[in-house]
Amino acid sequence: MELLIKNGAVFDPANGIAGDKTDISIKDGKIVDKVSSGAIVIDAGGRLVMPGGVDAHSHIAGAKVNVGRIMRPEDTRAGIKPRTKITRPYTGYTVPNVYAMGYRYAQMGYTTVFEAAQAIMKARHTHEELEEIPIIDKGALTLFGSNWPTMDYVREKNMDKLAAYVAWGLLASRGFGIKVVNPGGGEMWGFGKNVTGLDDVVPNFEVTPRDIIVSLMKVNEMLGLPHSVHLHCNNLGKPGNYKTTLASMELAKQVKPSKDRQVLHVTHVTFNCWGGTNWGDFESKADEIANYLNNSENVTTDMGQLIFGSATTMTADGPVQYANAKLLHAKWANGDVELEDASGVVPIFYVKQVSIHAIMWAMGLELALLTKDPYKVLLTTDHPNGGPFVNYPEVIALLMSNKKRQEEIKTLHEAVHKRTKIPGIERELGFNDIAIMTRAGSAKVLGLLDTKGHLGVGADADVSIYDIKPDQTDPSAEHAKIKSAFQSAAYTIKGGNVVVKDGQITATPMGRTFWVDASVPDEQKEIMMKDIRMKFKNYYSINLANYMVQDAYLTHPYVVRAGVIPVEVS
Amino acid sequence: MQTVAIKPKNGIKISAEAENISPDKFAGKSEKDIQSLEAWMGNQKTTLGELFTIKAEGTGAVADVKVVMEGDFSRVKRIGEGMTAGLVMIKGNVDMHLGAKMSGGKISVSGNVDSWAGREMKGGELIIEGNAGYYLGAGYRGETCGMRGGKITVLGSALDFLGEHMCGGEIIVKGNAGILAGLSNNGGKIVIEGSTSRPGSEMAKGTIIVGKVDEMMPVFKLEGTEAVDGVSYRKYTGDVIVNGKGVLYVKE
Repeated sequence: MELLIKNGAVFDPANGIAGDKTDISIKDGKIVDKVSSGAIVIDAGGRLVMPGGVDAHSHIAGAKVNVGRIMRPEDTRAGIKPRTKITRPYTGYTVPNVYAMGYRYAQMGYTTVFEAAQAIMKARHTHEELEEIPIIDKGALTLFGSNWPTMDYVREKNMDKLAAYVAWGLLASRGFGIKVVNPGGGEMWGFGKNVTGLDDVVPNFEVTPRDIIVSLMKVNEMLGLPHSVHLHCNNLGKPGNYKTTLASMELAKQVKPSKDRQVLHVTHVTFNCWGGTNWGDFESKADEIANYLNNSENVTTDMGQLIFGSATTMTADGPVQYANAKLLHAKWANGDVELEDASGVVPIFYVKQVSIHAIMWAMGLELALLTKDPYKVLLTTDHPNGGPFVNYPEVIALLMSNKKRQEEIKTLHEAVHKRTKIPGIERELGFNDIAIMTRAGSAKVLGLLDTKGHLGVGADADVSIYDIKPDQTDPSAEHAKIKSAFQSAAYTIKGGNVVVKDGQITATPMGRTFWVDASVPDEQKEIMMKDIRMKFKNYYSINLANYMVQDAYLTHPYVVRAGVIPVEVS
Repeated sequence: MQTVAIKPKNGIKISAEAENISPDKFAGKSEKDIQSLEAWMGNQKTTLGELFTIKAEGTGAVADVKVVMEGDFSRVKRIGEGMTAGLVMIKGNVDMHLGAKMSGGKISVSGNVDSWAGREMKGGELIIEGNAGYYLGAGYRGETCGMRGGKITVLGSALDFLGEHMCGGEIIVKGNAGILAGLSNNGGKIVIEGSTSRPGSEMAKGTIIVGKVDEMMPVFKLEGTEAVDGVSYRKYTGDVIVNGKGVLYVKE
């Protein structure tokens, strides 16, 4: 099928197109040079055209998402929409059902979303859900930061074995990259303890979070994985944690990237740019993080923007969730994934008049506005930790309009004036910046810029058209219009199919699941597997044969190849 | 003044959901419009007119609407859901979720009501002359607040989990209540003139006054005796496990 999008005001930052009237030709699911005269024509009529949205960090599938659903039946009541001839029912707000995940992303013009954390042992569950999420392409990052084999090989300084383990772990979980959550802390939480900084020693393994992060970064580059290490820092959720975050970012200097991308992605900075020493003198240090980003390469971040209202925090960081549940007197689910990690789920309600929440709201925005290069800060809400992903249009409007921010600040706790810099920041992002933070940047960070996040020839035909005429719109003054346009795309085209028209789902093709098949020499793998087999014999509650994600779980796989290459370690 | 009279047609055997039976939905509407309001019977979409004989007279604002229901409504759920004003008088029994989320007005029932009556009620008044089922004035599954305001009076008895997760308002039961009355409650006042068992578990705030307790949870601290309205009660505070500041009075 051929498709021609005419008269669009195209924002395609990866190809240097910023608002020019450019035609986009689509054939067989790809962007091509030109199409025949028989192509179906979509007249964009001067409206905003961008590549399909790419989300590099969102919790959309897997064990903890489902725990969230189970423990929050009250959330299921929100957003209920009965089935139609095309769509299945929608339920939920912070923890929607699988169908609503796909539909709502597509309705906002998003076409690719990555689940940010799966334990290998729970990966079958993740893929069972991913396979039911309609329309969007997706993938899942695999947790390695507190796994026993990881810590064993880090202690032994055996990077070959660690590389073999990571490659095998990605295969076992059909994962896309290395996720590290509170390295070492997940293991210590099994004993009711936590690490408090990069140099705390994890008992029984004699390694530090610093060792774990650096080793995994080295191995990530040895294997030439498309994405970098994706780090949820130690001390998250504790006042004063910005120092740990900066120290973790500093570690990226020790490793050179094997590809044109960062070596470390520090995620949801809203939760780890906290100044102060307690809840009383809690303040934003997002400016310090932004300052670091402005003076360094190799590190990228995402916002994890806070959205007022209901949210469900879910993370592999078990100890922080225990602290949250105690602090908030909230429901708490705790999970222990045997040799791999911990986890926890706690609902939260962010309130404008609570000083801490107001300050946190400012942090994500400060980070995005004070960092000069939008490629270094992706737009996320760490769905559903900061708030549900359906609020991305709200975040876009806040970034594009100082007027909207000032209006919002008036409704917030006064601490936002004293403990953050947001009231004085006048910068307003343009459509090109937004296209980077939600498309080109995310694709680059994930290492998928060849096919995602841009509209050049050869890219996947994922396109969104929004009902805004950029040359006739002042986003600063007309922020409500911006928000509503990004909430419901005029068109979303996924793989050459029109899946959304005027905000309504028109087709529900199944997207693909991306995973990385990284090769290591066979003998290296065999040596490592001996250890793994021992671990299963001695410690795991399940058999190795029942552990791997089988091909049957991925009915629409897309394999990205990687493998061992030499790396320079300075 | 607007009066709407509703009688069930030939026996409703499977559950009907009729949240549109409410002064808010009826106000200012003609008889025909009211009859064509949506309802569900099982998984079939239908109308109020199909399920009930409806006669409407006059017209008026919500507060001036009087709904008179007569007959067996024991398979009709969600009557008066979310109503803000007006009057609903029911002569007969009703099914679950009567007056759920109501914030004003008054509902009276001459018979029995099934579970979840007054669920998440914010205001108004619910008078039940017969017995109430489980979860009277409670919260929805998973919600941290059930009833927040208003008043529920039961002349008969109520079953278990009365006022679970209650955050405000008042529930008065003249008869007995089942186990775990006021479970996890966080405010409001519950009066049970008869007996109950294990009241106030996990309560953080609020007051529970009970005639007789069959079994006390071992999580309350005895504070001595105190007279309430001239009657002497043992006063307890708790639940101490959750550091609760709730008060439980048990008649001596």
